[in-house]
Amino acid sequence: MKIKTSNSISFLLLVVFAIIPLLLGLGYALLYSFGIVGVLNHGFTLQNWEAAFANNEVLYSFFYTVGLSLVSLFSCVSTGIFLALYFGKKLQKGIGSYIIYLPMAFPSVVAAFFFFQFLSNAGLLSRLCYKLGLIKSVTDFTNLVNDQYSIGIIAAQFFLTLPIFVLLYISIIANENIERLSLLATSLGARKSQVLWRITIPALLKKSFPTIVLYFIFKLGTYEIPLLLGRSSPETVSVLIVRKMQRFNLMDIPQGYVVAVIYALLVIVLLIFSFKSSHTVADA
Amino acid sequence: MHKKRTISLFLLVIYCVLPILVLFALSFSLNWVYPNILPQTFTLRHWKEFLFDGNGLQQSFFNSLTISLFVAFTSTLLGFICSKWIAYHKRRRLLLLVTYFPFALSPVIFAICLKFYFLKAGLAGNLPGIIIAQLIIAFPYATIFFTSFWNKSIKDYSNIASTLGSSPFNSYLKIIFPLAKSFLLTGFFQCFIISWFEYGLTNIIGYGKVQTLTIRVFQFIGEANIFYAALSSCLLILPPVILLWVNKKFVVHQTR
Repeated sequence: MKIKTSNSISFLLLVVFAIIPLLLGLGYALLYSFGIVGVLNHGFTLQNWEAAFANNEVLYSFFYTVGLSLVSLFSCVSTGIFLALYFGKKLQKGIGSYIIYLPMAFPSVVAAFFFFQFLSNAGLLSRLCYKLGLIKSVTDFTNLVNDQYSIGIIAAQFFLTLPIFVLLYISIIANENIERLSLLATSLGARKSQVLWRITIPALLKKSFPTIVLYFIFKLGTYEIPLLLGRSSPETVSVLIVRKMQRFNLMDIPQGYVVAVIYALLVIVLLIFSFKSSHTVADA
Repeated sequence: MHKKRTISLFLLVIYCVLPILVLFALSFSLNWVYPNILPQTFTLRHWKEFLFDGNGLQQSFFNSLTISLFVAFTSTLLGFICSKWIAYHKRRRLLLLVTYFPFALSPVIFAICLKFYFLKAGLAGNLPGIIIAQLIIAFPYATIFFTSFWNKSIKDYSNIASTLGSSPFNSYLKIIFPLAKSFLLTGFFQCFIISWFEYGLTNIIGYGKVQTLTIRVFQFIGEANIFYAALSSCLLILPPVILLWVNKKFVVHQTR
């Protein structure tokens, strides 16, 4: 009887705090996008969806967000593997084991603020370049925030995510017999580079694949960093949605919900994919 | 080779520590004119104002602290209860997937989709509303986090205790909680940090009326007041640094 009560409470908690908000939120966004709810809507219509894709803004925003997330993740994963292999033991004990955790204490908004102060025209890097005689005035320094190549955004995301991947790869190396596999390959005559490229890196990537997909999902929804360090065009998906929702033109709100629905569907598909891949990795 | 490795490690340390040094230096400054690397005037003024004058920043700090402590405590407690049910359920993977959805969605986009209901319920622009909104993010995380605790050996321990006549309450008190102590602490810290770092959702549901530290940082940046933005940033970094240190020093070592 007590077990049944406890199970009912758990079920209720999951429904109240996870399932209902999700269904209500996505349901409202979907209904709004089709004109069924909302002050300015007058019944079912596909106009909002057509309007959202009337120009390339939404599509461009999705491509930009995906590209940004991929670049940021690629840099974190490759550097994470390198650092875990190169410094592995040094980052597990002593001061190194504390220092590597430090970026995890930074909220996105603070990381964005720091990189603004570091990479902007009048930032710390520009001042250092000036002192070293590399530039003659503030205008000589290429602005690395709100820039065309999104360097500021990538740098801030890299700073925040790198420790997570370093720690992940250190733990995989320690727990998954990577060293033994490498030793076995060496004793079978494999060269150092062959061990690295054919054993170590593929094994690390395979084990970390579900986490990589999960972080890709998180990066798709990043908001504070692109808001502070990004340009007004193209915008990341979350910045675009918030702008459409909070602009004075109320006619843009349904389009904002259209983008939110597409984003949510993308996240759901990726999450299912991540779960399936984690199942495969676990089986392997 | 060894020297090269030491130099690389030193650069890595600089990379991790530099942001904290810069933010602290700026929080103690009055002006920072180009092309000087260090600020010209150092002062305790901003920190004194925060500590003794009871200005808005102190209020924001306590707002953030109240919200984060409440969210962390509640989500840890509820997540721990719910995680057991999910962990031993025959449809564990499906339930976990469902739990992941609210956590994986961008909080700011999720908040925009839920804003209508918060408005209707009178929960927009106030502290309870922000706490409930953050629980919608932190509770799934806590549940997912604690699911890995409920393994076969924990179930076996509970079964042995029940066979020996222990009540469920006693089993929790004398077996489960002592075993889960470090898990619970880490889960609490993580939920605290999720809530402490939250900006987008807090801003949308709170309408900027409930001034948390993250919201103040954005305001100061908007006003181009980099010294107060740096001070608020330092206040935002300090608790997570302490929690990470405690977690690494005591909890991780204890688990080992």
